[in-house]
Amino acid sequence: METTTETMVERELEIAASPETVWEFLVDPVKVARWFGKQAWLEPRPGGQYRVDVIGGHIAAGEFVELDPPRRLVHTFGWEPEGGQENPVPPGASRIEIELEPSGEGTTLKFRHTGLPDAEAAGSHAHGWDHYLARLVVAGGGGDPGEDRGPEGM
Amino acid sequence: MEAAVKAIAAPRRRQILTLVREDELSAGEIAAHFDVTRPAVSQHLNVLKEAGLVSERRNGTRRLYRARPEGLAELKEFLEEFWDERLSALKREAEKEERKRGDDD
Repeated sequence: METTTETMVERELEIAASPETVWEFLVDPVKVARWFGKQAWLEPRPGGQYRVDVIGGHIAAGEFVELDPPRRLVHTFGWEPEGGQENPVPPGASRIEIELEPSGEGTTLKFRHTGLPDAEAAGSHAHGWDHYLARLVVAGGGGDPGEDRGPEGM
Repeated sequence: MEAAVKAIAAPRRRQILTLVREDELSAGEIAAHFDVTRPAVSQHLNVLKEAGLVSERRNGTRRLYRARPEGLAELKEFLEEFWDERLSALKREAEKEERKRGDDD
Protein backbone atom coordinates (compact mmCIF):
# COMPACT_ATOMS: atom_id res chain seq x y z
CA MET A 1 0.00 0.00 0.00
CA GLU A 2 1.29 3.38 -0.92
CA THR A 3 2.11 5.63 1.95
CA THR A 4 0.93 9.20 1.76
CA THR A 5 3.44 10.48 4.25
CA GLU A 6 4.00 14.11 3.54
CA THR A 7 7.08 16.16 4.10
CA MET A 8 6.09 19.03 6.31
CA VAL A 9 9.42 20.77 6.64
CA GLU A 10 12.65 20.17 4.78
CA ARG A 11 15.80 22.16 5.43
CA GLU A 12 19.47 22.01 4.57
CA LEU A 13 22.11 24.02 6.38
CA GLU A 14 25.87 24.37 6.53
CA ILE A 15 27.43 24.20 9.97
CA ALA A 16 31.04 25.19 10.64
CA ALA A 17 31.65 22.24 12.92
CA SER A 18 32.61 18.63 12.29
CA PRO A 19 29.90 15.97 11.92
CA GLU A 20 31.21 14.48 15.20
CA THR A 21 30.57 17.74 17.04
CA VAL A 22 27.13 18.20 15.47
CA TRP A 23 26.24 14.61 16.33
CA GLU A 24 26.85 15.30 20.01
CA PHE A 25 24.20 18.00 19.78
CA LEU A 26 21.70 15.34 18.69
CA VAL A 27 22.33 12.69 21.33
CA ASP A 28 23.89 14.34 24.39
CA PRO A 29 21.09 15.62 26.67
CA VAL A 30 23.07 18.62 27.92
CA LYS A 31 23.89 19.69 24.36
CA VAL A 32 20.37 18.98 23.07
CA ALA A 33 19.04 21.32 25.75
CA ARG A 34 21.29 24.07 24.38
CA TRP A 35 19.28 24.30 21.14
CA PHE A 36 16.01 22.49 21.55
CA GLY A 37 14.64 23.14 24.99
CA LYS A 38 15.19 23.67 28.65
CA GLN A 39 15.96 20.11 29.59
CA ALA A 40 16.31 16.80 27.78
CA TRP A 41 16.19 13.15 28.75
CA LEU A 42 17.52 10.80 26.08
CA GLU A 43 18.22 7.11 25.58
CA PRO A 44 20.10 7.35 22.28
CA ARG A 45 19.77 3.77 21.02
CA PRO A 46 17.27 2.20 18.61
CA GLY A 47 14.03 1.82 20.53
CA GLY A 48 15.22 4.22 23.24
CA GLN A 49 12.91 6.99 24.40
CA TYR A 50 13.50 10.70 24.64
CA ARG A 51 11.68 13.63 26.23
CA VAL A 52 12.51 17.30 25.86
CA ASP A 53 10.96 20.06 27.92
CA VAL A 54 10.74 22.49 25.03
CA ILE A 55 9.10 25.50 26.63
CA GLY A 56 7.32 25.83 29.92
CA GLY A 57 6.31 22.24 30.41
CA HIS A 58 5.42 21.44 26.79
CA ILE A 59 7.08 18.08 26.41
CA ALA A 60 8.19 16.82 23.00
CA ALA A 61 8.71 13.08 23.07
CA GLY A 62 9.33 10.09 20.89
CA GLU A 63 11.55 7.14 20.20
CA PHE A 64 14.92 6.76 18.53
CA VAL A 65 14.54 4.65 15.41
CA GLU A 66 17.92 4.72 13.72
CA LEU A 67 21.34 5.94 14.85
CA ASP A 68 24.36 5.85 12.59
CA PRO A 69 26.90 8.18 14.22
CA PRO A 70 27.89 10.67 12.96
CA ARG A 71 25.84 10.33 9.78
CA ARG A 72 22.17 9.66 10.25
CA LEU A 73 19.57 9.93 12.99
CA VAL A 74 15.89 9.04 12.78
CA HIS A 75 13.44 9.52 15.61
CA THR A 76 9.71 9.88 16.02
CA PHE A 77 8.24 13.14 17.25
CA GLY A 78 5.11 14.28 19.02
CA TRP A 79 3.80 15.97 22.13
CA GLU A 80 2.88 14.49 25.49
CA PRO A 81 -0.64 15.03 26.88
CA GLU A 82 -1.12 18.23 28.85
CA GLY A 83 -3.61 18.86 31.60
CA GLY A 84 -5.07 15.41 31.04
CA GLN A 85 -5.76 16.22 27.37
CA GLU A 86 -4.34 13.99 24.70
CA ASN A 87 -2.45 15.93 22.02
CA PRO A 88 -3.64 15.08 18.50
CA VAL A 89 0.00 14.55 17.64
CA PRO A 90 1.04 12.18 20.43
CA PRO A 91 4.61 10.93 20.80
CA GLY A 92 5.35 8.74 17.82
CA ALA A 93 2.96 10.47 15.44
CA SER A 94 5.52 12.05 13.14
CA ARG A 95 9.08 11.40 12.11
CA ILE A 96 12.30 13.39 11.99
CA GLU A 97 15.29 12.42 9.88
CA ILE A 98 18.62 14.19 10.18
CA GLU A 99 21.57 13.46 7.92
CA LEU A 100 25.09 14.81 8.40
CA GLU A 101 27.60 14.94 5.57
CA PRO A 102 31.17 16.22 5.82
CA SER A 103 31.53 19.40 3.80
CA GLY A 104 35.01 20.90 3.73
CA GLU A 105 35.86 21.64 7.36
CA GLY A 106 32.24 21.55 8.34
CA THR A 107 28.99 19.66 7.97
CA THR A 108 25.95 19.78 5.73
CA LEU A 109 22.89 19.00 7.82
CA LYS A 110 19.76 17.76 6.06
CA PHE A 111 16.59 17.90 8.10
CA ARG A 112 13.20 16.40 7.25
CA HIS A 113 10.07 16.38 9.36
CA THR A 114 7.53 14.02 7.83
CA GLY A 115 4.63 11.90 8.83
CA LEU A 116 1.37 12.28 10.62
CA PRO A 117 -0.24 8.89 10.14
CA ASP A 118 -3.19 10.23 12.11
CA ALA A 119 -4.22 12.42 9.21
CA GLU A 120 -4.40 9.36 6.96
CA ALA A 121 -6.36 7.37 9.50
CA ALA A 122 -8.85 10.22 9.74
CA GLY A 123 -10.26 9.23 6.37
CA SER A 124 -10.41 10.89 3.01
CA HIS A 125 -13.14 13.47 3.57
CA ALA A 126 -11.41 14.76 6.63
CA HIS A 127 -8.01 14.60 5.05
CA GLY A 128 -7.19 18.17 4.14
CA TRP A 129 -8.53 19.86 7.19
CA ASP A 130 -7.48 17.42 9.87
CA HIS A 131 -4.11 17.18 8.27
CA TYR A 132 -3.61 20.90 8.60
CA LEU A 133 -4.77 20.84 12.17
CA ALA A 134 -2.52 17.99 13.04
CA ARG A 135 0.59 19.41 11.50
CA LEU A 136 0.05 22.68 13.22
CA VAL A 137 -0.23 21.09 16.53
CA VAL A 138 3.08 19.38 15.84
CA ALA A 139 4.61 22.81 15.87
CA GLY A 140 2.39 24.49 18.38
CA GLY A 141 2.12 21.78 20.95
CA GLY A 142 0.02 24.36 22.71
CA GLY A 143 3.18 26.30 23.32
CA ASP A 144 5.02 29.31 22.13
CA PRO A 145 7.89 28.12 19.96
CA GLY A 146 8.70 31.71 19.08
CA GLU A 147 10.68 32.19 22.24
CA ASP A 148 14.40 32.49 21.75
CA ARG A 149 16.46 32.07 24.83
CA GLY A 150 19.35 34.05 23.42
CA PRO A 151 22.78 33.08 22.18
CA GLU A 152 23.97 31.69 25.51
CA GLY A 153 21.03 29.39 25.74
CA MET A 154 21.53 28.52 29.38
CA MET B 1 -0.12 33.76 14.27
CA GLU B 2 0.31 33.19 17.97
CA ALA B 3 -3.43 33.73 18.50
CA ALA B 4 -4.13 30.94 16.02
CA VAL B 5 -1.74 28.58 17.73
CA LYS B 6 -3.30 29.27 21.11
CA ALA B 7 -6.74 28.87 19.57
CA ILE B 8 -6.03 25.38 18.27
CA ALA B 9 -4.16 24.31 21.39
CA ALA B 10 -7.49 23.62 23.11
CA PRO B 11 -8.95 20.25 22.09
CA ARG B 12 -12.51 21.56 22.35
CA ARG B 13 -11.78 24.31 19.86
CA ARG B 14 -10.27 21.80 17.45
CA GLN B 15 -13.48 19.79 17.76
CA ILE B 16 -15.51 22.88 16.99
CA LEU B 17 -13.33 23.62 13.98
CA THR B 18 -13.84 20.13 12.66
CA LEU B 19 -17.59 20.50 13.13
CA VAL B 20 -17.82 23.72 11.12
CA ARG B 21 -15.37 22.58 8.49
CA GLU B 22 -18.14 21.71 6.04
CA ASP B 23 -21.31 22.93 7.69
CA GLU B 24 -22.19 26.46 8.66
CA LEU B 25 -23.68 26.19 12.15
CA SER B 26 -25.04 28.40 14.91
CA ALA B 27 -23.59 28.43 18.42
CA GLY B 28 -26.61 26.51 19.63
CA GLU B 29 -26.20 23.80 17.03
CA ILE B 30 -22.54 23.52 17.92
CA ALA B 31 -23.33 23.33 21.65
CA ALA B 32 -25.76 20.46 20.99
CA HIS B 33 -22.81 18.32 19.87
CA PHE B 34 -20.96 18.68 23.13
CA ASP B 35 -21.55 18.43 26.83
CA VAL B 36 -20.87 22.14 27.34
CA THR B 37 -22.94 25.25 27.87
CA ARG B 38 -23.78 27.58 25.05
CA PRO B 39 -21.90 30.49 26.64
CA ALA B 40 -18.81 28.28 26.76
CA VAL B 41 -19.22 27.52 23.06
CA SER B 42 -19.68 31.23 22.31
CA GLN B 43 -16.46 31.97 24.13
CA HIS B 44 -14.60 29.36 22.10
CA LEU B 45 -16.09 30.78 18.91
CA ASN B 46 -14.86 34.24 19.85
CA VAL B 47 -11.32 32.96 20.31
CA LEU B 48 -11.49 31.16 16.96
CA LYS B 49 -12.95 34.22 15.25
CA GLU B 50 -10.29 36.55 16.62
CA ALA B 51 -7.62 34.12 15.46
CA GLY B 52 -9.07 34.21 11.95
CA LEU B 53 -9.95 30.53 12.03
CA VAL B 54 -13.73 30.88 11.71
CA SER B 55 -15.93 33.42 9.96
CA GLU B 56 -19.25 34.66 11.30
CA ARG B 57 -22.29 35.46 9.14
CA ARG B 58 -25.61 36.93 10.19
CA ASN B 59 -28.70 35.30 8.80
CA GLY B 60 -31.71 37.14 10.19
CA THR B 61 -31.40 36.82 13.95
CA ARG B 62 -29.01 33.89 13.71
CA ARG B 63 -25.24 34.03 13.61
CA LEU B 64 -23.67 31.23 11.66
CA TYR B 65 -20.11 30.05 11.90
CA ARG B 66 -17.88 28.38 9.38
CA ALA B 67 -14.21 27.43 9.35
CA ARG B 68 -11.74 29.53 7.38
CA PRO B 69 -9.23 27.05 5.93
CA GLU B 70 -7.00 29.88 4.74
CA GLY B 71 -6.57 30.89 8.39
CA LEU B 72 -4.96 27.54 9.03
CA ALA B 73 -2.97 27.45 5.84
CA GLU B 74 -1.06 30.46 7.11
CA LEU B 75 0.04 28.41 10.03
CA LYS B 76 2.15 26.12 7.90
CA GLU B 77 4.64 28.95 8.01
CA PHE B 78 4.55 28.71 11.73
CA LEU B 79 5.80 25.14 11.66
CA GLU B 80 8.62 26.20 9.37
CA GLU B 81 9.55 29.03 11.69
CA PHE B 82 9.58 26.66 14.63
CA TRP B 83 12.20 24.48 12.96
CA ASP B 84 14.13 27.38 11.44
CA GLU B 85 14.64 28.82 14.90
CA ARG B 86 15.57 25.48 16.40
CA LEU B 87 17.98 24.62 13.60
CA SER B 88 19.68 28.00 13.64
CA ALA B 89 20.18 27.55 17.39
CA LEU B 90 21.70 24.12 16.70
CA LYS B 91 24.08 25.66 14.16
CA ARG B 92 25.05 28.44 16.54
CA GLU B 93 25.70 26.14 19.48
CA ALA B 94 27.60 23.53 17.47
CA GLU B 95 29.82 26.20 15.95
CA LYS B 96 30.45 27.73 19.36
CA GLU B 97 31.47 24.30 20.65
CA GLU B 98 33.77 23.75 17.69
CA ARG B 99 35.47 27.10 18.21
CA LYS B 100 35.93 26.33 21.89
CA ARG B 101 37.63 23.07 21.01
CA GLY B 102 39.84 24.84 18.47
CA ASP B 103 40.96 27.23 21.20
CA ASP B 104 41.78 24.39 23.55
CA ASP B 105 44.16 22.75 21.05
